[in-house]
Amino acid sequence: MSYKVTEENNISTVYLDGEIDMDKTEAAKEVIMPLIEAKKEVHLNLKDVQYMDSSGISVLIESHQKAEELGTKVTLKEVSKSVLKVIMMAKLEMVLNLD
Amino acid sequence: MNIKEEQDFLVNSKSLKDVRDFARNIIDKSPILQNQKDELVLAIAEAAQNIVKHAYKDMATTNDRMQIKISFEDNELEIGFFDKGKPVNPENIKHRKLDDVKPGGLGTFFIKQIMDEVVFKESPGWNNHLVLTKKY
Repeated sequence: MSYKVTEENNISTVYLDGEIDMDKTEAAKEVIMPLIEAKKEVHLNLKDVQYMDSSGISVLIESHQKAEELGTKVTLKEVSKSVLKVIMMAKLEMVLNLD
Repeated sequence: MNIKEEQDFLVNSKSLKDVRDFARNIIDKSPILQNQKDELVLAIAEAAQNIVKHAYKDMATTNDRMQIKISFEDNELEIGFFDKGKPVNPENIKHRKLDDVKPGGLGTFFIKQIMDEVVFKESPGWNNHLVLTKKY
């Protein structure tokens, strides 16, 4: 997994890629959580994420819930087909903000 | 086409990528399995992850290896996971309720959604032997 972060109009967009599993979740959280804690609106672009397991889904839930707690928002952008399949299997498509 | 393959992996989170590659290579050998490739790879990787995360909980580093056997015979897929971690009590394995949204507790749910049967069996020389099956 690698990532890139861009800033525009007070929105931080994190571009993740590759395969996000238990081995990669800490690295993903280290990028995402400080942005949320700084109360920024965060977009997670998942178009290049080819695989995500339950650990990766946990990062999405944790990010979403932390943002709500701090009065900001995390939106999932360009969710890849394989990640969407897992989100839907967990019945989270109505819980997480998908765009 | 009948398939029967096995491989062992060091028990740690870095092996999960190798587990997925192993699963993908086998699934690619069968057009029937290929139709459900993403789901099957997820189920196999989640079961391997459970070994790392739960059977070897609080064991930061280990040289133990887990073994995965995959067979596809007579349109039945069987995946066996063998490990020497802490013995699992199957009654304690529960996924969280889906409407109780919180991080964690989804791996077992995914496995049960994808596979037909999930059972633990006795296997001499191993502490845990999980078997996942699916009929096609």
